[in-house]
Amino acid sequence: MEKQTYSRRFFLTTSSLLATFAFIPESVKAFYSNVKKLVIRPKEELRFLVTINKKKYRINADSRTTLLDLVREQLQLTGTKKGCDHGQCGACTVHVDGQRVLSCLTLAAMVQDKNVTTIEGLADGDKLHPMQQAFIECDGFQCGYCTPGQIMSAVACVNEGHTGSVEEIKEFMSGNLCRCGAYNGIVESIQKVAR
Amino acid sequence: MGFFDNQPDIQHIPEGRIEGIAKVTGSGKYAAEYKVNNQCYGVLVGSSVAAGTIKSISLDDAKQVAGVIDILTHQHKPFVPGFADEAKIKEAHFGLPIFYTDKIYFKGQPIAMVIAETLEEATYAASLVSADYTIDKANVDFDKSHPGIAASNTGKERGSLDSWSNVPYVTEAEYTIQNEVHNPMEMHATIAQWTSDDKLKLYDKNQGVNNVQRTFAKLWNIPTGNIEVISEFVGGGFGSGLRVWPHTFATIMAARQVKRPVKLMLTRPQMFLLVGYRPASWQKIKIGADSNGQFAGIWHIAKHSTSVYENFEDGITRITRMVYKFSNLKTESAIVPLNLSAPTWMRGPGDCTGAFAVECAIDELSYQLKQDPVELRLKNLAIEKDPENGKTWSTNFLNEGIQKGATMINWKNRQPVPGQETDGDWKIGYGMAVGMWGAGRGKAGASIKMQRDGTITVRTAMTDIGTGTGTAMQNIAHDFTGISKNNIKVELGNSNLPPAPSQGGSTGLSSISGAVVATCEALKQKLAGYASLQNDVYKDALAKDILLSDTGISYKANFISYASLWEKNNLDLVEAEASSGPGEERQKFSFCSSAAHFCRVRVHSKTGKVKIDKMVCVVDGGKIVNEKAAANQVSGAAAGGIGMALMEEQPVDTRYGSLVGNDLAGYHFAVNADSPIVEVAFINKPDVNINPTGSKGLGEVGIIGSAAAIANAIYNATGKRLRNLPITPDKILQA
Repeated sequence: MEKQTYSRRFFLTTSSLLATFAFIPESVKAFYSNVKKLVIRPKEELRFLVTINKKKYRINADSRTTLLDLVREQLQLTGTKKGCDHGQCGACTVHVDGQRVLSCLTLAAMVQDKNVTTIEGLADGDKLHPMQQAFIECDGFQCGYCTPGQIMSAVACVNEGHTGSVEEIKEFMSGNLCRCGAYNGIVESIQKVAR
Repeated sequence: MGFFDNQPDIQHIPEGRIEGIAKVTGSGKYAAEYKVNNQCYGVLVGSSVAAGTIKSISLDDAKQVAGVIDILTHQHKPFVPGFADEAKIKEAHFGLPIFYTDKIYFKGQPIAMVIAETLEEATYAASLVSADYTIDKANVDFDKSHPGIAASNTGKERGSLDSWSNVPYVTEAEYTIQNEVHNPMEMHATIAQWTSDDKLKLYDKNQGVNNVQRTFAKLWNIPTGNIEVISEFVGGGFGSGLRVWPHTFATIMAARQVKRPVKLMLTRPQMFLLVGYRPASWQKIKIGADSNGQFAGIWHIAKHSTSVYENFEDGITRITRMVYKFSNLKTESAIVPLNLSAPTWMRGPGDCTGAFAVECAIDELSYQLKQDPVELRLKNLAIEKDPENGKTWSTNFLNEGIQKGATMINWKNRQPVPGQETDGDWKIGYGMAVGMWGAGRGKAGASIKMQRDGTITVRTAMTDIGTGTGTAMQNIAHDFTGISKNNIKVELGNSNLPPAPSQGGSTGLSSISGAVVATCEALKQKLAGYASLQNDVYKDALAKDILLSDTGISYKANFISYASLWEKNNLDLVEAEASSGPGEERQKFSFCSSAAHFCRVRVHSKTGKVKIDKMVCVVDGGKIVNEKAAANQVSGAAAGGIGMALMEEQPVDTRYGSLVGNDLAGYHFAVNADSPIVEVAFINKPDVNINPTGSKGLGEVGIIGSAAAIANAIYNATGKRLRNLPITPDKILQA
């Protein structure tokens, strides 16, 4: 990776200087806009390799791109959903090296050389994952938008061994919001698979 | 002869939804997920003041960002015929004339839209847009404003207030509810593509493609058919997609401006600002009864907020006029304009708000009377006739619902005196309330395409926002044709398909079921017409006597295979189309769906935490077409009721006009752990007058009254009457 032209320290010094400039005459303030122009940085493109759903991808991504936007906007893997973009709803849950992860809080660059599984990679060809099958049978969804995230979390919930009781399942699935309130079916699906 | 006569024993086996695989594998495409070549991204910039006029917008910094293509503002936008002048804007009734005004009506109102090659570039550039304003005084304070606005009669007064001034039992109280926000999990999104100068393609999140199509055809002054709206998968609505919002319009303008397809997905904080909410409300109820518990009269005053640029009337007192027999009744309402964005219908609109007050008031009265709230309600239900117009209810099984619910929750275990049942630090209580919703039906169209192999595709423009419309269409088509479900596909959510009303107000299934039945009959008749060329007996065949299978058509044991039918008539594809809507039955009867909500709660005496132990909902939704999907709707609505009762509120900073904590970390609705396994039961008796399947909508009634049931249970547990939603732990501890 190329060395950054403007460091974090530069930002901090610049902004504290700017705060001081607020009390300084117009002539000096003119300098402000010049400084500000400097901080509008060109985008930085990062190149790295990542394995998504057992397929190797050579990525060329904006350094600001999240894993969520990478899969949705660049790779057309739109099964992973954006529900808040701030780690508050769980709709974007994917697995990174087998752990459940919020892809909206993960910069794309952070999954360099890692194994990512999205909802598209859960089924074995046409054969659905047991959790996917259970969600259909138990009607564990309505609108379906939170569903991929629910299923990714549900699979992790079973793997983590948090299925001892309805209460435990509910607790460990509460990071995945469902506004339709299909919670009855979600819990039933997980119980079915955990059995 | 209808459905019930000829196929009385059909059991709908609960099974997976028709779109199940698409949803669990992530292959179903929601609005923002279509790949459109050469598409760029839009991001909206909101105003930083709550009222005023834009003096200038500074775009210089934003334009320096690489990848920025253009920036729309009120000074730089394409010409829209429907917004050509002030008069046209007024006539359009669009609400906020986005980019066609320099006036600011609320904080966060879009003042610019940055269009860039990538989402990151557009987002960054949008953060660099700033504006100067002439700032006006903004008012966002509902609590302080509503007393200054007088309420006026809504609906005809029955009897008089004076006539029950001397009854022995009267309660009078005020009830308030904070702003609540729909927050479907899918954020509203649009991809707009002008395929030619006057042809527009929209991938859009909404609850009614024809509504979107009509709105923009008018605004752009192009034929309706030139606009194609695609909303095949809709990630929830709850009312937020029932009208056309400014951001969709902005995206279309952007696509026009840069001559490229543009995609916009609102951010979650923008979801609180730009697609409506349930307005904050204040209500006052005075209700009286004689010593037997017969209701003597009710006086209901309701006020709620609206925006300064557009009026919205929620209809809070409607429910007061329909559930019980009140010989004396007065309902009044008013709306209170504030510098906030426009509210809109949210699940169980109006009735949900009204039912909270009325059902709590009745509960209060029951304790005064020392009568069981179940008995008190049963005694006063208007079960035979709609009290509003005197028409007979086509069906109304609310009494049965109440009785069934009481059994399911073990109501007999409830202590009539509050605060009697404890479990360590927990106080336990039971509560109940009812909900009702006018069962509507709209005119809808459908078509069926039959392929050479005998498979059919049932099609309509109606969307499926998660209610199970597509699955119900498949089920109904199976019941009315005989073709196996595996051979029935469904296409919906596209404006090129036969027109249908928006999916809202619990009218979806009621409207589309008639259309599907009519289309099945049309298909049978068409096939019988071809069959009659091979066998004369088919000439007089009536649709109801014709049976289809996966391999052919039969009538009175005369079977003709599709293969021979196709070959003899040189057919490739058979298509039938029909529409169906309400008729004279609406003059004769009133129609309602209803629900009885029961719950058992525990309230922690030290922390004020409320836990719902058990929640029961018994619904009269007529004939249940798909029990699994219907139960899912109702238990989901109960989760909505839990949110409404205990956690949902969007506070407003009255100093600056800002929303506070407007994201999913700040705004809480029920998560999995907040909701018990909800127990749902149905009356499941067909309403033979409403439509050919006898099913009534049930999406709204699942939430109407549920918040009151919880508030009533909290009273029964603690003896504390909380009349201000949401009932958060601090309120319980302070009461």
